[in-house]
Amino acid sequence: MKEDEMIICRCEEVSYEELKTTAAKYKCSARELKLRTRAGMGYCGGRSCRTMVDKIAATSANDRNRTCVSLKYQPPIRPISFKNLGG
Amino acid sequence: MTRRILDHPILGKMEDNNYVSFTFNQKGYKGLENESLAAALLANGIRTLRHHEESGSPRGIYCNIGHCYECRVSVDGQQGIRACLTPVKEGMTVESDGQLPSSKRR
Amino acid sequence: MDNAIIIGAGPAGLTAAVTCAEKGLDVVVIDEYMRAGGRLLGQLYEEPNGNWWNGIKESNKLYEKAVDLGVNFHLNTAVNNIENSNGIWTIYTERETFHTPSLLLATGAAEAPVPVPGWTLPGVMSVGAAQVMTNVHRVKPGERGVIIGVNVLSAAIAMELQLAGVEVASLTLPKTNQVTQDAGKPKEVLDSLLHVSHMAPSPFVRYGSKLMKNDFMKKLGVNFFPKKGVKMWDIPIQLRKAVTKIYGEDEVEGVTLATINADGEVVSGSEEHIPVDFVCIAGGLYPLAELAAVAGCPFYLVEELGGYVPLHNERMESPLEGLYVAGNITGIEGAKVAAAQGRTAGLSMAHHAGMDDLDGEIKNSIKRTEQTRDNAHIQFHPEIETGRKKILQQWDAYQSNKERSVVSNSRGGIT
Repeated sequence: MKEDEMIICRCEEVSYEELKTTAAKYKCSARELKLRTRAGMGYCGGRSCRTMVDKIAATSANDRNRTCVSLKYQPPIRPISFKNLGG
Repeated sequence: MTRRILDHPILGKMEDNNYVSFTFNQKGYKGLENESLAAALLANGIRTLRHHEESGSPRGIYCNIGHCYECRVSVDGQQGIRACLTPVKEGMTVESDGQLPSSKRR
Repeated sequence: MDNAIIIGAGPAGLTAAVTCAEKGLDVVVIDEYMRAGGRLLGQLYEEPNGNWWNGIKESNKLYEKAVDLGVNFHLNTAVNNIENSNGIWTIYTERETFHTPSLLLATGAAEAPVPVPGWTLPGVMSVGAAQVMTNVHRVKPGERGVIIGVNVLSAAIAMELQLAGVEVASLTLPKTNQVTQDAGKPKEVLDSLLHVSHMAPSPFVRYGSKLMKNDFMKKLGVNFFPKKGVKMWDIPIQLRKAVTKIYGEDEVEGVTLATINADGEVVSGSEEHIPVDFVCIAGGLYPLAELAAVAGCPFYLVEELGGYVPLHNERMESPLEGLYVAGNITGIEGAKVAAAQGRTAGLSMAHHAGMDDLDGEIKNSIKRTEQTRDNAHIQFHPEIETGRKKILQQWDAYQSNKERSVVSNSRGGIT
């Protein structure tokens, strides 16, 4: 396996290359990069890959105002089974 | 050869020895009662806990404390259970979560 | 309704629980792990005075003390969401729903990975996973492994693995790329190690910090990264090598190790195969603050604290009424600092519950946290105090902004 094919988001199997290419093309924020590639949108809620996606976005983006943000997290932060949703 | 650290230079000898039986993919194994399923399976030499839903690539324990969800298995018929947070009980039936039959990579 | 609810049963949460209970509050502690202790459970290192810091013993001590004081534990219970309405926090878990006017988030830290081709193979795990497997569950992560990522945490855990009879074939670097960045550059890694050398954990402490600076670090630095690396506790530390690939059919069979230059670039043709049955990924820790984000707490990126941290003051109050934070959610530090912060948070929560005359105790507790930080043997970032100052400055700025907007609102007649 080459470095470009290496997985960054384990849940959605998003590769380093896909993230790099998308970040370079759109020069977008980490949040937009997530929405475009689905990295961080899988089962674990981005807990595993968030820091990596942030770094890739920061490399390409004009994402200067990174120090003060409201982090976008959607509840539930742990997956809930359909069974439990009913209750 | 056991993978258990029965004696440790600082932590001493392991005190638990209450072994119970459980099955993983229809095969019988022994684990310590109330240890994590992830630990019990690794102690039995099992590393692959599931296959990715789409690609089918094998996955095992990654974070071991409930953050990454890589170790999710079916326990007594309930899917998506994290093996690293599940205490082993006598008679537990555990199955790998696997590739979905309809999944095709884009 | 409970007087106080604490999410996270690590050193911060447990100490806060004990503190609240001592002040007479009804306390509930919720944690998704099966045992109380959090990351403290896995810790095992020798202190400079020769005593061993045994995380399991320390966790049990705190847990038993809390239970004796009547603290109600809900372990193995994951929190999905929190909400505030009319000053009451609602905590949704996979089992029950809880309510409280006073909520502490002590959710600790998560591990940041360094990605390596092949790192999804079974047998590859975070370095913290290997620590818990070895010290808490007493199961070897494998017979022989490599650790990718050289930092304070991975050096400490390498030693713990060795202690348990697990062979660490190499403590080495990831290949540098957009994600790993400086963690894959020998020069930068060496600098970061030199910064913390005066208060590094056990494997270093054992040799005495002076000796380490003069001998061990010189070996690394003056000889300019010998290709074979240097040995610490019989573990080869190879700053001039990087893992370019983890290989194996269905699980880990080995790693490809290449020589790198001082800037982290791979010397072509230098690759060799190292057979191992497990691999640890060590990218460091970052504050796990999802619940604070869901609650709407403002965040700041403070690199010295390990990432994005929820805004808070020295009393461990967040800007949201009745919401407190303590431990690694506020920045990556050792368990003793987390516990000290937990005590402050517990006192602040007791104060919130209407208990008077706690100001002196709170001040003392804040001072004790600083002293604990000064005396810490493990420091994850060399500029931790700068980071702490930054977040307090943000707090002050936030408060004065709020006052200004309140003033202008009242002048403008906006309700």
